Amino acid sequence: MGGVGPRSYTSPLMAHDGHAGEAFRGRSVVSAEDFTKDEILALLDAARHYDRYQDDGPSFSGIEPSLQGRVLGLLFFEPSTRTRLSFESAMLRLGGKVLGFADAKISSFSKGETLVDTIRVVEGYCDAVVLRHPREGAARLAAEVASIPVLNGGDGSNQHPTQTFLDLYTIRQAAGTLDGLKVGFMGDLRYGRTVHSLTTALLHFDVDLKFIGPENLSLPKDLRDHLESQGRLGAEAESLADVGDLDVLYVTRIQQERFPDPMDYQRVRNAYRVDREALAPFGPELKILHPLPRVNEVATEVDDLPGALYFQQSRNGVTVRMALLDLILGGQAGGSVS
Amino acid sequence: MSQPRDFRLTDGTVIDHLPVGTAARALELLGLPREGPITVGINIPSPSQGRKDIVRVEGLFLEKPELDRLALLGKHLTVTIVHEGTISEKTVLDVPERLIGILTCRNPTCVTNAEEVQTVFFKQEGYPYRFKCEYCERITEPGEAL
Ligand SMILES: [Zn+2]
Repeated sequence: MGGVGPRSYTSPLMAHDGHAGEAFRGRSVVSAEDFTKDEILALLDAARHYDRYQDDGPSFSGIEPSLQGRVLGLLFFEPSTRTRLSFESAMLRLGGKVLGFADAKISSFSKGETLVDTIRVVEGYCDAVVLRHPREGAARLAAEVASIPVLNGGDGSNQHPTQTFLDLYTIRQAAGTLDGLKVGFMGDLRYGRTVHSLTTALLHFDVDLKFIGPENLSLPKDLRDHLESQGRLGAEAESLADVGDLDVLYVTRIQQERFPDPMDYQRVRNAYRVDREALAPFGPELKILHPLPRVNEVATEVDDLPGALYFQQSRNGVTVRMALLDLILGGQAGGSVS
Repeated sequence: MSQPRDFRLTDGTVIDHLPVGTAARALELLGLPREGPITVGINIPSPSQGRKDIVRVEGLFLEKPELDRLALLGKHLTVTIVHEGTISEKTVLDVPERLIGILTCRNPTCVTNAEEVQTVFFKQEGYPYRFKCEYCERITEPGEAL
């Protein structure tokens, strides 16, 4: 890349673990499970550098526009405003540009063209694409046919790897480590893909995994069996009060469509609502995460607690996506700048 | 292998050690009946399995994809090829670790059910066989996906 002016920046990643960082260059990101523990740690280490964007505000000082001249395609076959905006923000903050569509309904791409054809066309327009698609496996397929990296921004109810990375980053940032923690997941354990992906990623670490949810939304059998076979299935409880100590509480939304009877839904919704009273026994150190948007699972009175991290978590989405884009497209952290 | 007189094949294939109740499914998978005699044994006593099903088809010789499909019906199925009344080859069927283009994903919102793409499934540990779709990552049992 023809950089402008001298650059003396040394990547924190290269200093730490060049090999794991190298593993990202030109690579697609379909599932967090495709990455080793070392690779995930390398990404989280690299992401620290980009935290400065949060401190420095619009001046971007301290962050090189390392992706100047690069173009990121945003192919959103279903709307997901947060994911799209945070990728867009990450790319713009690195000096790159974005193109794409926010909803296939208003794009001519949806008119009967196959996903494979769309990818083959769009790969000529950009250096990498973020794909959000209603069908499970869409990102895997796109990554197979594309000659440029494909980043999965959510494929149906299957994977959303950048959410998992930013969740890990947030926990590590707040707790200083990913080892020795007691992490509780609460809400929809059955259908919540953030729960499944993060649980699986946390198996890399010495984490005590606990689960709190209504019986009809308990862990899916395959994941439960997997945890059990690894000896990693911790406490399971129907009430937050019965789960014991926690360092981190990851709350997810319980969706109304899971309950045929609206009365059942109301009851469950109120039982899994987190407010100051429910959190009091855990003390002020408890870290509370939520992938957002929330409906009423976390009372707004919780927002002021020092452990309420969900808005920080959302900002970290930009940080982690900046690191990922830079590593994949060979910007600063990838070490290609001379 | 001795064959009862009535069931003797001249040129064809014997599919043996089918789990009880799968003979009909085996015929269906092979697109049978077609021309030529077929004998089907159901609930046949077997020293290794207790009971088994067995299918003998005159004039049938199977290709790899058909064998891969058949193998999903049960553990240690054997396929014996008979030429001119004598056994020329006997194989115990193995289920491959990766099934390409054989199963259909049962997840209606899997991308393989919308795009023209060959399915890929990975065998999971244990028996009854279970397979994970490479694309949507859902687990499927061959009984429902063949
Ligand atoms: Zn599938």
